[in-house]
Amino acid sequence: MHELSMAQGIINAVLETAESNNATEVTEVTVEIGRLAMINPEQLQFMLGVLVENTIMEDAKVSIEDVPAEIECEDCNFKGVAILDESDHYAPLVKCPECDSLKVEVLNGKDIVVKNIIIEKPDDT
Amino acid sequence: MHQVADVEVAKNIMDANKRLADKNLKSLEEKGIFCVDFVGAIGSGKTTLIEEIIDNTDYNIGVIAGDVISKFDAERIEAHDVPVAGLNTGKECHLDAHLVHHGLHDLPLDDLDMVIIENVGNLICPVDFELGSHMRIVVVSVTEGDDTVEKHPIIFQTSNVIVINKIDLADAVGADVDKMVADAKKLNPNVKIIASNLKEGVGLDEIIQIIKDKKESL
Repeated sequence: MHELSMAQGIINAVLETAESNNATEVTEVTVEIGRLAMINPEQLQFMLGVLVENTIMEDAKVSIEDVPAEIECEDCNFKGVAILDESDHYAPLVKCPECDSLKVEVLNGKDIVVKNIIIEKPDDT
Repeated sequence: MHQVADVEVAKNIMDANKRLADKNLKSLEEKGIFCVDFVGAIGSGKTTLIEEIIDNTDYNIGVIAGDVISKFDAERIEAHDVPVAGLNTGKECHLDAHLVHHGLHDLPLDDLDMVIIENVGNLICPVDFELGSHMRIVVVSVTEGDDTVEKHPIIFQTSNVIVINKIDLADAVGADVDKMVADAKKLNPNVKIIASNLKEGVGLDEIIQIIKDKKESL
């Protein structure tokens, strides 16, 4: 439900980097979304499409990459990628793959990161 | 002529909020203030619980009351003679650390030993936004349906205390309180769960004791 503010944050990050690299156009953007962030990728794409109008990233292709949830299990000390039980949830239950425990600390998978952009810029003179 | 370049951005959109949340917590701790934030659906009983905590403890409490557009909750709490910063999020579905930072500026922090934050009524979006509190309490009422806990796993997994409210109405709405408790325990084995009827004060002492214990443990 907060895809609008997330989309604005992504666009700000892209445009800042593009401008500091003298870009005339941004053609591709790659965004990583943690599986545990409460963000719907389709709604995010829609909001991005609305907000990029009249910017140098207006025609950029936005690719969204899924980042798995990594955990540390409090019961068996397993560290690594969690099982995401999504049988009846969009937002998954986070379980230890070794012992099925739900007593886990999430180490990764909640973030939204603008990874890289492809830009066009004038030749160096 | 032009060239094409692949530029690393590596910017975490969530970082700005996290940094501000850490800053909020630090400025509260410098003043020795304990902070608890309440989340839960619209009508779950968050404001009632906050009113009861104010009336039944001796803490010097200040409240940040988040709401989408209205000031009704802020006005209800103000009637209990505590300082209140009413925050309107406008189009947004959650409080974030930036708004809370402004709210803290509107409270007389030097006179307080506890800040209570009431989030916007929502079981989904607040999950992504740390505010800088020491403890998060989620309030869910049986009238939301006894499948509400299992339908919103992440907020129940990431809260420290779960209050299941309006248990007096369970029979009337066909809700199974035991199921809600079992779902909550399954999702979050470490969590404290209190079944309450806040209109009659049932469960209130237990909730206040948990807050006191946590405050004193810091």
